[in-house]
Amino acid sequence: MLPRRSAGRRREIAAAYLLMAPAIVLVLGVLAYPLGWEIWISLTDFSSRSTTRPAFIGLANYVGLLSDAEFWRALGATVLYFAVTAAAKLALGAGLALLLARPSRGRTLAFLAVFLPWAYPGGVAVIAWYWMLNPPLITSYSVLAADLKHAVDGALGGGAWAFLSVAAFNVWRGSSFTAVFLLAGINAVPTELFDYARLETTGPWQRFWRVTVPLLRPYFALALYLSFTTAFADLANVWMLTGGRIVFPLVGTRAYWLGIHSGDLAQAAAWSLSLVPLLVLALMVLFRWFDRPQERPA
Amino acid sequence: MTRRLRGWRHGLLLALAVFYSLFPIYFITVQSLKTPQEDVFGSPLYVADPTFENYTELFEGGKARVRGYVIVPTVPFAVWLANSAVVILASTALTLLASVLAAYALGRLQPPGWRGWRRVLFATYVIPHTILFVPLYQVVIALGLDDSHAALVLIYSTLALPFCVWILSAYYHHLPREIEESALVEGASPATAFTRIILPMSRNVLVAAGLFTVGTIGNDFMLASIFLLDPAKQTVAAGLGVMDVSLEELVAVAGVNLAALPVVVACAALARGYVRGLTAAMLEGA
Repeated sequence: MLPRRSAGRRREIAAAYLLMAPAIVLVLGVLAYPLGWEIWISLTDFSSRSTTRPAFIGLANYVGLLSDAEFWRALGATVLYFAVTAAAKLALGAGLALLLARPSRGRTLAFLAVFLPWAYPGGVAVIAWYWMLNPPLITSYSVLAADLKHAVDGALGGGAWAFLSVAAFNVWRGSSFTAVFLLAGINAVPTELFDYARLETTGPWQRFWRVTVPLLRPYFALALYLSFTTAFADLANVWMLTGGRIVFPLVGTRAYWLGIHSGDLAQAAAWSLSLVPLLVLALMVLFRWFDRPQERPA
Repeated sequence: MTRRLRGWRHGLLLALAVFYSLFPIYFITVQSLKTPQEDVFGSPLYVADPTFENYTELFEGGKARVRGYVIVPTVPFAVWLANSAVVILASTALTLLASVLAAYALGRLQPPGWRGWRRVLFATYVIPHTILFVPLYQVVIALGLDDSHAALVLIYSTLALPFCVWILSAYYHHLPREIEESALVEGASPATAFTRIILPMSRNVLVAAGLFTVGTIGNDFMLASIFLLDPAKQTVAAGLGVMDVSLEELVAVAGVNLAALPVVVACAALARGYVRGLTAAMLEGA
């Protein structure tokens, strides 16, 4: 839209900035200083144990990361964690949404059941979930759980079972959100489109990949992005809960360990900021799908 | 014949979906209803001799007592519940207020660069929260808000806001302009047109944004336990998290269930509005 600089439009623009102010001030007010601090600190040798003033050392912390084999292992595990939980959430969510989209008896009840894992407050559910999979010594199923834990930890390294239990929690809760979100997306697509598709395609698989996925692509993209953001929130919850006892090597856990337990805040900042370029890249790709620029206001 | 078979298959899949969604909640509920004896010797899958001991325990004052094999310190659970309610309601109100105003400005008034602003807000999600609480604590102390609910309300309000702005502005973006214009022709001020016509129309989208906010805030455990240290100020998540993990898990799990109950009931009541609201925001493109 070309800017029409009429007096009315100018007033409208001024009003718009005024209305946007609370949200912008709130978000940037809370996040700007912490983010700036974290970036600055990552360029110094700041440590809570050192007695001298932090010195500016440029990109040395980041250069150090590149040659650190542990960093690459952690980065690999982190990307894998993102990818696997996101794929599971999207697949389960799409399946549940398609299941619930079809009219049938008991659909309302099934819908409420599917909605429940997300509605059940995650901050407290994660406590229960964690104990369910990592029970105390003398519960009725401790032996079984311990056997599983040792088998998994033995195969994948210490902390793997606890980490997998967090991943499972994230998928359980996230697939519920994704299912309801995609169901809303299916409702937003005109039914005629699905009806035509039924005539044009052969078989449910072809219909799913050629019709459902392209029609729902913006919602898949948005759900994928939200999946990334919750994947880390859930991990963070569990480190706090266990006092950092989950030390399975991931970028986030390692940063937390370095910063809080060892006091190397500068390195911790570099570790945790190292994920930002990847997330920004993912966001830029996903924006193309859920915020299409060619869509112009009428 | 095949149609009937398909009906059966569909029913079976629905049953599976229900089982998958409910089993973890069923499982922890079973554990929370057990006596200490049954917790050790019973079956993990059902409870033979249900008791509400673990639930009533949460509300009993006084000193720590011995129950079964364990020493149970008492916790101010009722206070925690009230704190959680205050924090969640205040953050949700603040989030919705700020997002409705911003969404209307972005989706409707469309100042130059509105798309960019919306993207910038959304992009704040990429900021890793891992050690962000260290500088955040400096801000909180500088504002004199340590150990205060206000700190948590401010921080929580930034968590769901970008998504709420996104769906609300998408909705306002494709709401036909004639709707307000006719009100303006009738002599209403833009503010009246907004509060009397636009706002009631977006009720379902507001429900969706509100539930998303509650779900996002309800998922936090970390920030609550960092910023609230005084047991009298803590929320349920922060309070239960610091109870000794290995000894009182039954009481804590009972607390989890009890705290979840009001949220679950509210969500179930609003579930339809939630889906309708999301759909309304998605119509004609995201």
